[in-house]
Amino acid sequence: MTVRSRHILKDFESALELLRANVLMMASLTDRSLQNAMTCLLDRQSRNGALTIADEEEVDALEKTVDGQGINILLRFQPVAFDLRQVISAMKLSGNLERIADQAVKIAERSQSLNRRPELEEVSALGPIFLEAITLFRDSIRAYGDNDVALARSILPRDKELDEMNRQITRDLTSCMSSNPSRITDYVHLLFIARYMERIGDHAKNIGEDAVYAAEAKDIRHPTNVLVS
Amino acid sequence: MINSSSTSKPAMEDSTSAPESRKPVSNAPEAANPAPAFRSRNLSIFYSNKPAIKDVTLDVPSRKVTAIIGPSGCGKSTFLRALNRMHELVPHTRVEGEVLFEGQNLYAPNLDPTLVRRRIGMVFQKSNPFPTMSIADNVLVGLRLNGVRNRKVLNERLEKSLRQAALWDEVKHDLGKPGISLSGGQQQRLCIARAIAVEPEVLLMDEPASALDPIATMKVEELIRELCAKYTIVIVTHNMQQASRVSDYTAFFFLGNLVEFDGTDRLFSNPKERQTEDYITGRFG
Amino acid sequence: MSDNLHTWRKIKSGLASSVATVAALLVITPLGLVFYHLLVSGIGSVNWDFFTHLPKPVGEIGGGMANAIVGSGVLLGLASLIGVPVGVLGGVYLAEYGGARTNAILRFVADVLNGVPSIIWGVVIYGLVVIRFKSFSAIAGGLALGLMMIPLIMRTTEEVLLLVPNGYREAALALGISRWKTILHIVMKTASKGIITGVLLAFARVAGETAPLLFTAFGNRFWNHNLHEPIAALPLQIFTYAISPYDDWHRQAWAGALVLVVLIFVVNTLVRVLTRGRTVSVL
Repeated sequence: MTVRSRHILKDFESALELLRANVLMMASLTDRSLQNAMTCLLDRQSRNGALTIADEEEVDALEKTVDGQGINILLRFQPVAFDLRQVISAMKLSGNLERIADQAVKIAERSQSLNRRPELEEVSALGPIFLEAITLFRDSIRAYGDNDVALARSILPRDKELDEMNRQITRDLTSCMSSNPSRITDYVHLLFIARYMERIGDHAKNIGEDAVYAAEAKDIRHPTNVLVS
Repeated sequence: MINSSSTSKPAMEDSTSAPESRKPVSNAPEAANPAPAFRSRNLSIFYSNKPAIKDVTLDVPSRKVTAIIGPSGCGKSTFLRALNRMHELVPHTRVEGEVLFEGQNLYAPNLDPTLVRRRIGMVFQKSNPFPTMSIADNVLVGLRLNGVRNRKVLNERLEKSLRQAALWDEVKHDLGKPGISLSGGQQQRLCIARAIAVEPEVLLMDEPASALDPIATMKVEELIRELCAKYTIVIVTHNMQQASRVSDYTAFFFLGNLVEFDGTDRLFSNPKERQTEDYITGRFG
Repeated sequence: MSDNLHTWRKIKSGLASSVATVAALLVITPLGLVFYHLLVSGIGSVNWDFFTHLPKPVGEIGGGMANAIVGSGVLLGLASLIGVPVGVLGGVYLAEYGGARTNAILRFVADVLNGVPSIIWGVVIYGLVVIRFKSFSAIAGGLALGLMMIPLIMRTTEEVLLLVPNGYREAALALGISRWKTILHIVMKTASKGIITGVLLAFARVAGETAPLLFTAFGNRFWNHNLHEPIAALPLQIFTYAISPYDDWHRQAWAGALVLVVLIFVVNTLVRVLTRGRTVSVL
């Protein structure tokens, strides 16, 4: 990443830094929420789930702060080029982060319901997909933070793999439901949880796209599929 | 965790004190709401019996940057000059109402305008360092012609003013060169150094950067932000983006009337008056 | 077609510049001729005696114009003492202080006075001073020349001060510098070259005036020891010698004329050199 010299207007420089710091703060909060949700589900620790649920308030507040600061910078300094893209992508990121945190909360809530019931062995099957989702998320944030375009572009194919994993799990869980009807409610929880993880992957992909836009001014969303006839 | 630095303007949900508009000072404690630098009350100014500004009541906050915007001929320069009685240089002017500076009426009958101007300095649109004088002489002229002779004091003031104007490093080896040998942006900063050398409390700036290229303009804007920690600054500008970059409060004048006065963020994101919004969005000139 | 137009334009342009060149030559030529004639006629008689000796009695050969040279110096000194301060301050008043009505009247009066034939000044001072004190004097001569200088210096000073951009006045006043200090230290300093030029022009104009001195200084064949007595002056002496019937005096008159012209030339150059680089903006 090229090191840029400081802007002549110190207020502008510090406003941009503050915005970036807030976004990264929000990302680390979201990361923690996901981590706690995973512990809640896989290790049956409902207390961690409670932490996830508590953190949501802070993430929501940060979303409003980041958006407000972004608008303020646009209003005050009329940034162009690189600076403009930084501000816009920061604001978009905050939206995505908020939704990821939201998914984490939903995972936590359903995990807590599961934890009140006897242990279910299929829960562990969700481990790999959860891990993959979190990894995608962390990579997308790193790509944004480091302006790592290659890493950002790698997220799209991996998200597709995540989607495939989700489809597989859905099929497995559906067959479990028919063979073990007494625990249908629990399997439904698991289905939803898998769905949430797939959503997290999608949001991570969005973050990756925003990272590429911020770094290169290229919009890589919705690539046209030449095979579609 | 969300801390705005103390010199930045209030972030949107962070503003504490309400900017003082047309209402008198609130009962807020001194620290949060210091007394305004200027209070104009029903100020009207007539040039040959034609009103340039009408019935303007406005509190200019202390140690902040206040921008005055508006289309040509709206009276913004007249109002600025009224703050240090420079408008009196035009013959046949008449003043109604008053301007209180630190509690004292600037237009009191026996008050010498020269004394007023020692405390309220001014920087002009076209930089005008005196052509017969070197850089050092230019900075010190206000002090020397007001009787300061002590060599030590003069030298200290020279360095201090040039440092504050962000010019010292560029000219410290060339202090004997003529003032007009500098570039446009440097000349303007020299004029700022000259104005602050007499240690006023207020700096009035009449479109100080409009004759400068963009980089020089930004350097002057950064200088203004740095200076507002020590001085109250009022700046007239026809460039609205400059007003939004540089100022804490903005006043919008139109046809001699004060239309709106508010914190800059608020005025530019959601102005109260339709006229203001029409002007800043470019829907009328 | 456009080719013809282009050629026609070139011809017109060439014609115009030739006419301008010819006009310039027409201006310089008489000047050159005068200098040349003076040089040729006068140089022979310019010698040490000329600068150091008093005129010899009528009929005798030799002698000089020492007293006339010194006398001119004294008269011009007196004239400057009167003319320069009053003229400059008058110009300052016109440019900086006066009201529109007053200024219009003052300017009109000054312009009229500038056009008054110089002999009138002599006659006026004769009536006011010479008759009063019952003698011709250096003071009367200095007064006449000085009064001539006043309207000249006043107008040029005013014009030069008005050329100083208002921005400088505003900047100085905004620093809390009082009005008179602004005018003295900022405005006049900026215009100083122009003011000095104006004073010079008046000086040169007055240095060669003969008519006003006819009835005031009157001339003197000997040294002047008292300003209340008549005094010799170079132009006066030249006049007296030129209309005389003596060849020797004619030669001395040429020499005097040459010296006068050279003196004025030197003074002009000297002050130009001295004020070079002092100010940059005005004149």
